Amino acid sequence: MNAAIQASGLGKQYRRAWALRDCTLAIPEGRVAGLVGPNGAGKTTLLRLAAGMLTPTLGTITVLGERPAAGPAQLAQVGFVAQDTPIYSRLTVADHLRLGAWLNPGWDDHLARHRISQLALNPKQRAGSLSGGQRAQLALTLALAKRPGLLILDEPVASLDPLARREFLQGLMEAVAGQGLSVLLSSHLVADLERVCDYLVVLVASRVRLAGEVSDLLASHHRLSGLRRDPGTLPAGQEIITESHTDKQSNLLVRTDGPVLDPAWAVQPVSLEDLVLAYMTRAADDGPASPQRLKVAS
Amino acid sequence: MIRLSMLQLRVQAITAAVALIAFAVLLAATGPHLASLYAASGLRGCQPASCGQRASSFLKQVNSTGPYAPVDLLSIIIIALTPAVTGLFWGAPLLARELETGTFALAWSQSVTRARWLAVKLTVGGLAAIAVTEALSLLFAWWAAPLGRAAALGGGGSGVGMNQFNPLAFVTHGITPLGYAAFAFTLGVTAGALIRRTVPAMAVTLAIFAAVQIAMPLWIRPNLFPASHTTVAINFNDSTLDLYKTGSPHTFTFTLATDGSVAGQPGAWIRSSGAADAAGHPVSTVVPSACSPAASSSGPGPALANCLTSRGIRIAVTYQPASRYWPLQWAETGIYLVLSLALAGYCFRRLSRLS
Repeated sequence: MNAAIQASGLGKQYRRAWALRDCTLAIPEGRVAGLVGPNGAGKTTLLRLAAGMLTPTLGTITVLGERPAAGPAQLAQVGFVAQDTPIYSRLTVADHLRLGAWLNPGWDDHLARHRISQLALNPKQRAGSLSGGQRAQLALTLALAKRPGLLILDEPVASLDPLARREFLQGLMEAVAGQGLSVLLSSHLVADLERVCDYLVVLVASRVRLAGEVSDLLASHHRLSGLRRDPGTLPAGQEIITESHTDKQSNLLVRTDGPVLDPAWAVQPVSLEDLVLAYMTRAADDGPASPQRLKVAS
Repeated sequence: MIRLSMLQLRVQAITAAVALIAFAVLLAATGPHLASLYAASGLRGCQPASCGQRASSFLKQVNSTGPYAPVDLLSIIIIALTPAVTGLFWGAPLLARELETGTFALAWSQSVTRARWLAVKLTVGGLAAIAVTEALSLLFAWWAAPLGRAAALGGGGSGVGMNQFNPLAFVTHGITPLGYAAFAFTLGVTAGALIRRTVPAMAVTLAIFAAVQIAMPLWIRPNLFPASHTTVAINFNDSTLDLYKTGSPHTFTFTLATDGSVAGQPGAWIRSSGAADAAGHPVSTVVPSACSPAASSSGPGPALANCLTSRGIRIAVTYQPASRYWPLQWAETGIYLVLSLALAGYCFRRLSRLS
């Protein structure tokens, strides 16, 4: 299967500071991939590199097999909704659809109008007077109606209230189902991603700590609890992600492809949130000496 | 992409159109009567001997009656300021507002490369700025044609009959306005690309444009072509000549106004004047002892002028002949267009690093 996004040794430097460094990643096509990580991990930089907004300082990135923003044809393949969902506040909703139609040869006007009427947006309203949720929906409509092969969304729901957030993600899922496109979206809310993503990438301090199908990840990780014991006695093939011990008890989160057979353990499934937090914690504990402060958003 | 540029320039275009129409109405309301005054002055087909006289009285009449002097001044101010206004309000926000509000991410993620986006934006905005400025200038040129002809016939002086090289006349007529418009616009775009904020970019655009517009007539325009030199007789009755005497022993000074007359060179641009002998060599400005009696009478009178003339003293004049008007217009416009292209090229080079 082809990669929607493939990055190798990718780095981006702003003046002195590196926003992203040595990032290697491959996301297969046809997935709704969630990108999570603490603030400052390089999520936005990675997404902007993928959308062709930035050019890499080091390394390479290809999106649907081509360098991002390589030309009009490549740009037509990628829909991008930037952070804070920018729109032209002085133009009307209808103006936005018009500019989308002018600038995109693959523009699906029917889709755009259908979405706008479904959202009950007034085409004559100035975009500047839309609510945050409506703004985000308008930006998403523009990105969807160009009929991209890959949709990149940078924290699209960060500033939305819970209802608008749900509506946005619902609209996104309907479009994905209808158009069969790949999606990469970032969020600091794992709960949002859990609802829509079938692929997960955890990025901490530029490094990909975890990447894979959500179902595989959930199946291969377990929370173990039992009497206190030396973690070194675990069988080969069980990798400890996090551990905590009290005087009597040990709590482990392990990765293993096989089943956990030891009857001494109480085995529980993990949630996606647990998994993300575990990898972030591990990265903070043993990751490369990094000035990044780990800040897990709630 | 052209349609998007026009959509985004809609408000500015309407403003410009309204201003242009208002200006045209003002000139159309006063122009025909000015032309009829000219026709009545008998300047058309006048005999060379009487032309200067008729031109002066025509200009005097225009200066003192009707709305012509204020309309003339207002037009000059409007045309001189239009390039700055388009540079500030069309050029500076072109990139700065997109960067400031984040909409660049929307613009540059459509199926149009950002180089093409900028090329179209620069072309549409730049041509619009040029068209508006030059349209104002052409309207004014039509209106002021009688004044220009009278000034060229030697009736010139100040006010409505100013010499074509007068900085205010030079920058509002001919093709220079389009050069200024192109320069101010690209300067605004470049400032926006560098500063990334609209209001500071506007301020910087205004400051730099004003500095260039002051430097141009003071230091650059006079030196674009080597000046011509000649000597003329002291004509005490020439209103554009000032003869001073100062100090003890007396020294004298000639000052020939910028739009003064050089024999045989009507409409020339006087750069400097001084005392010289017949061969054009500078001479001492100490009043010769033979002329002392003439100088010691109250004020520098005709007696002093006559005495200096009798001692072989003439006025050395450095000037640009009237025939240099169009070469200077082309050269200056060319300089501004080259600067504009350089600024536009810089914007393209910077474009990949803007987001």
